[in-house]
Amino acid sequence: MMRRAILTVLGLAIMAQPAWAEIGRIKRSVGATAVERGKAKLTPAPGFQLLPGDTLVTGKNGQMSLTFIDDTRFSVGPNSRISVDDFTYDRTAQSGSFVTRVNRGSLAVVSGQIAKSKPDAMKVRTPTSLLGVRGTRFIVEVSK
Amino acid sequence: MNRALPLLAAAGLLAGCATTPTLTLLPTEEGKQGAVAVLEENGRPMETVVSELNSSTNLSGTPRTRSIDPAKMSARQRALLDSLPPAPVRLTLYFLEGTTELTPESQPGLAFLIKEVSERPGAEVQVTGYTDTLGDADANDRLSQQRAEEVLGVLAKHGIDPTLMSAVGRGERNLRVATPDGVSEAANRRVVVTIR
Repeated sequence: MMRRAILTVLGLAIMAQPAWAEIGRIKRSVGATAVERGKAKLTPAPGFQLLPGDTLVTGKNGQMSLTFIDDTRFSVGPNSRISVDDFTYDRTAQSGSFVTRVNRGSLAVVSGQIAKSKPDAMKVRTPTSLLGVRGTRFIVEVSK
Repeated sequence: MNRALPLLAAAGLLAGCATTPTLTLLPTEEGKQGAVAVLEENGRPMETVVSELNSSTNLSGTPRTRSIDPAKMSARQRALLDSLPPAPVRLTLYFLEGTTELTPESQPGLAFLIKEVSERPGAEVQVTGYTDTLGDADANDRLSQQRAEEVLGVLAKHGIDPTLMSAVGRGERNLRVATPDGVSEAANRRVVVTIR
């Protein structure tokens, strides 16, 4: 009986976790798209909540749009594989850190509060380079 | 003439498909200046700041920046930019002193919020309540939370899914107009609603 109660409490804590950790939401998903979370391959729909570590994957005709809780906006083009390796954000202080890895494909970015909070708090990695974002709109393209 | 055409087409193809990773820097939607720094290239630390708007920079080998004509961006780039979500909107609603009742001037703001959410699939609605410095801090923490929940409740009543929304109260912190303690200030009795 006692054990069950503890398990229930633990279960609740685990269930509640994603709500606290939400870092952004999918606004649009067209064609072949997936969000990889650990070993799970999830199908994003508008409102889908993203977590740190998620990888955004699109196929030949795939496209995804999303907005992060710091107001950063992404548009992911076809044939892309993009991971949010690190995302921490303090909503009150409006500061944090944000590292995105563009393994392949294309990504358009309008940066938000994290990029504004201090120089290079937002970084974008490509297979050959590391970029520090200083408040702007840009596109990164990485061919296969 | 006939021979020139395939050559032009080949040049177009080269320009259209990035063979090395490329950064395209654009003005912000408000036309403002921004910059991206190349901090590392093939493991080599550096700091090459790209601040030329409407430019293209290669991200493999020594970064070189050249101007581009924004009118001649590739269809793929244009599609990518057109698919960016709309900018988040923020609206401040004000309250009557010591209450969770909106001022008459702020009432129409609710209709604006409801419309915005309905036009944004997958919206996130964040409601943050505040108070002025009248009364003690604990009571103001509660009042600010109640204000945020009141607005959330009204939005929910108008059909906005409560699971899209969150409400927090910040009490007397983050005053909009700085005042000493114990001061009634209309500009500080507010709720800020952010729709992403």
